[in-house]
Amino acid sequence: MSLNQTKQDTTFWDKYREKTYSRRGGWVIGKGVFNCGYNMMNDLVGDASYMQVLVLNAIGRLPERRLADWIEAVYICLSWPDSRIWCNQIGALNGTMQTSVTSATVAGVLAADSRGYGSKPLIDGVTFIQNALIDFNKGLSVEQIVRNTCAKYGGKPSITGYARPLAKGDERIEAMERVTKNLGFSIDPHLKLAYQIEAELQAKFSEDMNINGYVSAFLSDHDLTPMEIYQIFSIVVNSGVTACYMDTYDRPAGAFSPLQCEDIEYQGKAAREL
Amino acid sequence: MVIQMAQKKAKVARRDDQYAKKISTKIWHEQPSEQNPYIAQQSRCHGYDLVELVKGRSYVEVLYLLFRSELPTKEEAEIFEQLLISFINPGPRHPATRSAIVAGVGKTDPVHILPIALSTLGGNFQGAGEVEPAVRFLRKNAKKSPKEVALKLIEESTKPAEGDWSIAPGFGSYYGGVDLMAQQLAQQLATLPGCGKLLMWGDELSNELQSQQVGWLKTGVAAAVLADLGFLPFACAALYQLISAPGLLAHGLEYCKKPMTSYPFPEDKDYVIESD
Repeated sequence: MSLNQTKQDTTFWDKYREKTYSRRGGWVIGKGVFNCGYNMMNDLVGDASYMQVLVLNAIGRLPERRLADWIEAVYICLSWPDSRIWCNQIGALNGTMQTSVTSATVAGVLAADSRGYGSKPLIDGVTFIQNALIDFNKGLSVEQIVRNTCAKYGGKPSITGYARPLAKGDERIEAMERVTKNLGFSIDPHLKLAYQIEAELQAKFSEDMNINGYVSAFLSDHDLTPMEIYQIFSIVVNSGVTACYMDTYDRPAGAFSPLQCEDIEYQGKAAREL
Repeated sequence: MVIQMAQKKAKVARRDDQYAKKISTKIWHEQPSEQNPYIAQQSRCHGYDLVELVKGRSYVEVLYLLFRSELPTKEEAEIFEQLLISFINPGPRHPATRSAIVAGVGKTDPVHILPIALSTLGGNFQGAGEVEPAVRFLRKNAKKSPKEVALKLIEESTKPAEGDWSIAPGFGSYYGGVDLMAQQLAQQLATLPGCGKLLMWGDELSNELQSQQVGWLKTGVAAAVLADLGFLPFACAALYQLISAPGLLAHGLEYCKKPMTSYPFPEDKDYVIESD
């Protein structure tokens, strides 16, 4: 090992070692709590909704109230008390183990940071619809967009935002369509295209748009990036997890889904000696 | 269009996907007692009786067995044990350890310290999140000349104006220089009979890169040894967390009984709110 013995430049780390820098804000003791230029106690508390402030903290911009209300409705759509859902089951298992509610909820939220469900697939869903609109505006037909995307998965309709595990159809979209209408939002280019893609998938594969596809398209029309949307929904499953935790926490410990030894199918090596 | 599409919506119906009726495993077999089907009277790990393992095998051997389904050879056990010791503690300056310490001093329930710290350690920057890409990088390049790979990396990768240079997964600068501990630990592990080809290749690559003030990162060393031992790439990342867990926990627990004032809280003058 031959290492250069000259003094190394550590200016970058020295700067950050000496002071803590924040682009978001902080508590200036005696003056107030500041967040992206807002005085939290004077400008936000009592005037902005919790969801507006959640979005502010997630992306650094305060959304208009009705957009925050729309996002809040999505939060309700994506968090329900059914302990068969993977993240919720972790809440229920924590409940039966008598963990703290915070531990359970955070564990369930972490579980939903998943490639298969929860918030992370929004990155792919938003990326897809934003790229699809670019292609569409360049002249690609909806049929070509669907065919090209499915071709990456051996012709299967594996487009994030369309089809869903466990069930066909998605009751949450009709609910959100109602919210969209009631809040006075229009149907803009990404969402229009999403509907056209859904029609193509229905015709070819009998598959529908799912809530991811709807949210991805709608929020793309509100100039949000894939990462911003993922950030906004980072804890989207939390309240359903809490509910499932409480359901089992309030029962006798160990009463949730107990298993006998033989309920586990052993597929490994036969008994052997050391 | 909305109303039209809504009218066309299919009725929500369960798919006919077939889900397993039971949990299955190749790892662990519990034999029920005759009196109570919920109580195990014997547990076997990949076929070996747990009590026999307790009596006759080391922790390192059983840990290897758990993940690899066979007991390690003497050489495999030796390098695995030295790897576990090498990265047993990221050290008190590491962000994951700092998370553990903050949890400890903040009077967080001690059972939360490890999950908290491990989530920080899961990061992609010199954390467990870098280990899987490092395994894939090593596997992809290990048949090429380390010198040629080094030259290509130096030519194609741009050193950032600020911060560390991640020239390849598992290799880079550490506070602007070479991570001396990572080099030393890699060299020690490379002396062992159980040293595999990825560790040896990575060591050569690290030497080739050092003129640029980059070399092995700890994540790279762990990736190489674990991959040489046959652990799958995605498992290597999570195992890196497991390996580092004792140190994280020790530092967190060390602070549990200390007052909140025992951990620095920057002065107002040292907290800078930047505005556009």
